[in-house]
Amino acid sequence: MISIQDVHKEYIDGETHVHALRGVSMEIEQGEFLSIAGPSGSGKTTLLNIIGCIDTADSGDVEVDGERLSSRTFKELVEIRRNKIGFVFQNFNLIPVLTAYENVAMALSLLGLPEEEIRERTMSILGEVGLEGMEHRRPAKLSGGQQQRVAVARSLVKEPRIVLADEPTANLDSVTGEAILKLMKDMNRSHGTTFVFSTHDQMVMDYADRLCRLHDGLVESDERQVAHQTV
Amino acid sequence: MKRKPDLPRHGQNTQPEAERTSQSAGKHTEGTEPRRPGRRRASARFFLRLALKNLSRYRRRTAVTATAIAMGVAAFVAMDSLLVGFGNEGERNLANYEVGSAAIAAPGYWDDRDRFPLDNPVERPEEFLAELDNAGIPAAPRTSFRGEVIVRYDPYPEDGSSPATFHGIDPERDPAVFNFDEAIVEGRFPVPGEDEILISKWLAERLGAEVGFPLTLTTRTRDGYRQLMDLDIVGLYQTSNPTVDRSHLFLPLETADEDLEMRGAVTTIHLRLPEQVPGTADLGPVEQLLRETGRFAGLRENGNGGGDQDAATTEDPVTLLSFGQMTQEFAEFMELEHAGSDLILFLLAIIAVVGISNTMLMAVLEREHEIGMMRAMGVHKREITRLFSYEAAVIGLIGALGGIVLASIVNWFLVTNGVNFGQFLEGTEMDLRFDGILYGVWNYGTMVTAAIFAAVLAGVVALIPTRRILRRKVADSLRHG
Repeated sequence: MISIQDVHKEYIDGETHVHALRGVSMEIEQGEFLSIAGPSGSGKTTLLNIIGCIDTADSGDVEVDGERLSSRTFKELVEIRRNKIGFVFQNFNLIPVLTAYENVAMALSLLGLPEEEIRERTMSILGEVGLEGMEHRRPAKLSGGQQQRVAVARSLVKEPRIVLADEPTANLDSVTGEAILKLMKDMNRSHGTTFVFSTHDQMVMDYADRLCRLHDGLVESDERQVAHQTV
Repeated sequence: MKRKPDLPRHGQNTQPEAERTSQSAGKHTEGTEPRRPGRRRASARFFLRLALKNLSRYRRRTAVTATAIAMGVAAFVAMDSLLVGFGNEGERNLANYEVGSAAIAAPGYWDDRDRFPLDNPVERPEEFLAELDNAGIPAAPRTSFRGEVIVRYDPYPEDGSSPATFHGIDPERDPAVFNFDEAIVEGRFPVPGEDEILISKWLAERLGAEVGFPLTLTTRTRDGYRQLMDLDIVGLYQTSNPTVDRSHLFLPLETADEDLEMRGAVTTIHLRLPEQVPGTADLGPVEQLLRETGRFAGLRENGNGGGDQDAATTEDPVTLLSFGQMTQEFAEFMELEHAGSDLILFLLAIIAVVGISNTMLMAVLEREHEIGMMRAMGVHKREITRLFSYEAAVIGLIGALGGIVLASIVNWFLVTNGVNFGQFLEGTEMDLRFDGILYGVWNYGTMVTAAIFAAVLAGVVALIPTRRILRRKVADSLRHG
């Protein structure tokens, strides 16, 4: 459902001209649990941003769920993100003045759903991620792991086609990080949502069904593997 | 939440790619989900709630900005209150002590007003007075002229003279139009036919005059001859109109008529019409009345003394002067005052704009990463703009409401006690129609306008820093911080 063909991307960082992607091609199927690994500067975040429609390729073709992104207007890309793509960030990126419930419900409020449906779906997903009873807590009252669970819930509540996670365990200890990974794996299985990670964390790589390594903006390797199974 | 149906395992999508692509392409030709009705309302409600919650993030900054707005609003409302009070007081004093509601005069007289001419009077005023009496309209004939007051040592402290304005008044009719009878502080009002005069307490103090003192005035008659009149001071008056107090003296009309050789003519006939606010009375009935006399030359037009073409043929024509026409200079003065207050309002707005934009700029810059996250989630630029505009507008509204409370307290004081400008006005040559104590007025329209203006201005000002951040790419904003 994600098709990337010969994508190039350059940007200017200060006075430096950075060629982040130098002709990346790959196909990602629906329901995959894919990890894009590589050292810093390999282009993995850039690739994720392009798939997530928050950046555009300089050349090449990107199709997400049948939508050719290069032919979409800026507003249409926003709508694609709104409806079809969920994000999980390294720094959780929860809105500090909103409760756990409100942070998750926000994704549904943007879709204009009725309040009752928002409530039902939000409470359900919070239960699924193990945060039942914590709906009214603000992020400051939640641990890192709990905040990331809220972020995962927020990304999934609108039933997106894809969830893009940029180093989701980077700010978590190994135990918590593994718990988050298990959660996302379970979500992948139960919802059939495609998960694409960018990471340089070996634990994350081990959980992936498919590991794609980038180096200097090119695909170095792309292999299916036996992933770490959740209990 | 429903469990999704089991999907084919990875790599086992059995649907041909071409079919899958065309299906997807057909379903999502626009790249968007179908819009749900009410989505815009629901999202607007969400952003308004979020904006209100965000205010708690910067309590101190919000409080400082709101306070600055409150003080600006309060200052504007207080200033407007005094200005309107000044205007109202001036108009009341003009109506009660100088012009009444309207006046009848000969065409061209008012344009020459500064000279107070006697050679262009209203002839046979009794014709108009009879009609006005029949119509129940209070009317006061006057003969107004310029001259000089002369006083001699003993009983006065020293010799002296002073230019002044004199009015020959009908002591029986004048109190129905003007309020001088109520302004007597010593002595009495003049009586018809006597050689006596009423002067202001202010003038009496400067001349060293008392009730009973003699006073000489020199002037020229209607025919241009020099005339000397010896009169006795019978009363002192004090009004709230310093322009009148400083140089206007009143003597019986019959005395003025005889000594000035007016031959029964008067310079003006002042009217008092039913009205809540000076200058708002309907002049129609008076116009009609004058037309029926056959001597009406029309309303005074552009200072030409009468616009009616029949003026030249009508014998001894008259024109009707409205309150607005007779007080044009005061109106122009008030316009200057309003221009001054508009300038102050502009400066206050600048201060509010700087305060709000600074607060919002800091808020936007501090939350750039959060803005990037929201945009990544699919929040449109316009929704983020709306969010910050709501925040700024609420700060503006809080400030405005605080300003109204503060303004109400200040205004209550102004309305009840007034502000005494007396010491600042002492010695000034300006024609100010109030006696130094200026009272405010309750102007609820201004309060509401100021509050709405502050909220709207705040919301608009927030657009500037917000748009600046929204020009950045989402990825760049996410990298920030």
